[in-house]
Amino acid sequence: MNDISNPIVQMLEKFLTLASQRHTLITSNIANLDTPGYRTRDFDFRGELRRAISTEDPVMTPIARAIPGLMERPDGNNVSMDRESLLMAETQLQFNIGVQLIRNQFQQIMTAITEGSKG
Amino acid sequence: MSIFSTLEISGSALAAERQRAEVVAANMANAETTHTAAGGPYRRKEVVFSSSGNMPFRMMLANFRTLGFHPIPAVRVARIVDDPTPNVMRYQPDHPDANKEGYVSYPAINPIQEMVDLMSAVRTYQLNASAVNASKQMIQQALDILK
Repeated sequence: MNDISNPIVQMLEKFLTLASQRHTLITSNIANLDTPGYRTRDFDFRGELRRAISTEDPVMTPIARAIPGLMERPDGNNVSMDRESLLMAETQLQFNIGVQLIRNQFQQIMTAITEGSKG
Repeated sequence: MSIFSTLEISGSALAAERQRAEVVAANMANAETTHTAAGGPYRRKEVVFSSSGNMPFRMMLANFRTLGFHPIPAVRVARIVDDPTPNVMRYQPDHPDANKEGYVSYPAINPIQEMVDLMSAVRTYQLNASAVNASKQMIQQALDILK
């Protein structure tokens, strides 16, 4: 581990990976809004993030499960448009936060380099 | 699985919803068609969506081994089926397609039902289009890390 890729950047990288994986799942749920028999799939973001951060390994793709407790339509589909839209907005903001924080980390390193050359 | 695959997934839904809207348009256009190439009046069509992730267990296992993940299902139009609702008979003795009793069979198309279906297709199309925009924005943000 070197100073450029510090633990914070590595943690944020895992955060971004998970956020984009969740975004993919939400996109798939939205795409299957009218598919008979389709079940909403998602994963526990906090739990997966905790698990990813606690190991040194790169992020293993989490297993998506069917979400219980959603209202099912007569055709067996239980995708809720509101739940998915809200989750998509949330995931997008999470991704945004992660990107900003990573940029901030690199900005700090950049500052250290440029300020050092001024002295 | 990359974030670019979200564009494909949303794209599949856009294509499917567009086809649904096309079928609705065909139904509306042929609401009064009493004569088709196949003979008889036009039959109302309906699309059946299916999730493309429904693959056999063996393939799923192979995918899981190589990709470490079960595939994210996109959507596709599985088939277009005929509505089994019986035709509507109207008394029009002068019509060339009238039967011996003077009745003409018209397709059983309800404009309200078609409009509701069309509206649903359009709204779902919009929802998927905004999903594409969200994905694009996320990819753009990821690129901005480089700046």
